[in-house]
Amino acid sequence: MLLADFGTSYCKLLDTQSTTTVPRLIATRSIDRSMKVDIATGHNGKRYTTHYVNELTALARGGLSLTREQSFTLLDCGSRDIKYVVYGDGKIKDMGWNAECGASMGFTIELLEKYYTLDFSKMDVPKSSFSVTCGVLGMSHIFDAVVTGASEAEAVAKFVKGIAINAYNFAKQPEKIYLSGGLCDNPLFVNSFPCPVVSLGRFVLLEGLLNSLHLPSFSDLQP
Amino acid sequence: MTSSPIQRAGIVGIPPLSVMELITTPDYEIFDLDEPQGRVDLETASPFLPRVYCGILRTVIANSLAIQPDIIYIDTGAGKCDCAVHTATVLEDMLPATRIIRTRNNDSVDFGTPLCKTQMSLMEKMSAVTASVQKTAPYPELPTCAPTAGFWGVPPRDFSILNFFPDTTHIYGWARCMENKTPDNMDLELHYNPDIPTVFFAQSFCAKTALARHLASKHPRGLYLDCDVTAGNSAKAKIQAFLELSGIDA
Repeated sequence: MLLADFGTSYCKLLDTQSTTTVPRLIATRSIDRSMKVDIATGHNGKRYTTHYVNELTALARGGLSLTREQSFTLLDCGSRDIKYVVYGDGKIKDMGWNAECGASMGFTIELLEKYYTLDFSKMDVPKSSFSVTCGVLGMSHIFDAVVTGASEAEAVAKFVKGIAINAYNFAKQPEKIYLSGGLCDNPLFVNSFPCPVVSLGRFVLLEGLLNSLHLPSFSDLQP
Repeated sequence: MTSSPIQRAGIVGIPPLSVMELITTPDYEIFDLDEPQGRVDLETASPFLPRVYCGILRTVIANSLAIQPDIIYIDTGAGKCDCAVHTATVLEDMLPATRIIRTRNNDSVDFGTPLCKTQMSLMEKMSAVTASVQKTAPYPELPTCAPTAGFWGVPPRDFSILNFFPDTTHIYGWARCMENKTPDNMDLELHYNPDIPTVFFAQSFCAKTALARHLASKHPRGLYLDCDVTAGNSAKAKIQAFLELSGIDA
């Protein structure tokens, strides 16, 4: 079966019959628009399948499967939006999805990385941060800081920390966060949270699709 | 012999029963100004109310401009909201030819809430609840169903969010107060069922967002939701996922 999470910037595909159980990562702009998959999620997913799973449902099911905990907060930071689910005693307790105000954070971070040719793995978490409510509005803080003498890396680091704090507040300031999405690969972002963070990677929604089909976790799939 | 022309009466909120008995006669054509009336452009309200304001009251202004009622009964008591107080002032200046009557609905006689507890599609049920405002006769009895989900709050500006709920959803909050014809009944408004997953809804920029969020945090399986004029995909996905993950099929 072909499973896919069609994200804004990247699509994640998993073929359960493939010789490799590592999902493929493809830039969304490169996806064949006539492609059809067996089951899909993600905000671009409906056009590619007849079996669509709501993103929050996929996130929650993936989280239940991967954390193996009954009570947790799982936050997904994507290119376009942030969303979270909270479980308590194995039951859904709360959820949120910020797609408009507070949006475009992941996409903006990637743009900044490329534009300023930064390496987030070599950047320290700054002591302070910008107050960032969304990727687009937060950009002006960077430009203002650079104009007043801050280095580009320093300004971007404060921006990234501001985004992490905003996401943390959006998830209602949990004691610990399980993190999902492409920003798991950004150490500056992960280390900017004011609470412990467990990175689950960018394939949590695919895990949720497997769970929706009652298939084993992809870490357990055998070629 | 000439008959007097039919008066166009607008209502905002839930006027007292005595007012409704007065105008539910052939002499009046009643318009519920809280609800979208045909293809009225909401942007026509923008010169009179901020865009970042309760979508229901912006609808009231837009409807009033389009319909130009002869008289508007607007409830400005605790059974409506502070914003309605200010909207009444705006209406007075905006429509000098319209009589604006401010009411304070302190009715305390329970009419009952058969619609809120019966099995029916939630959209149909909520439509019937809002229509009940214009009825003054006692309600017919309806069978009560066992609830599997709850919707707490006011009738939303965008009814499409109600499509995701099962027919066995019970209505709570101010919408239940509406049907009961006691809009200022705080005890009834605070009531919810802790045993069923419940969406606590309020219009964005409405003071009731505080209560909705507070009650959702107290409820063992409560989801807070606010929407402005139209519900976006994320709001709809939240409802859908919440019900699905709570084991409820719509």
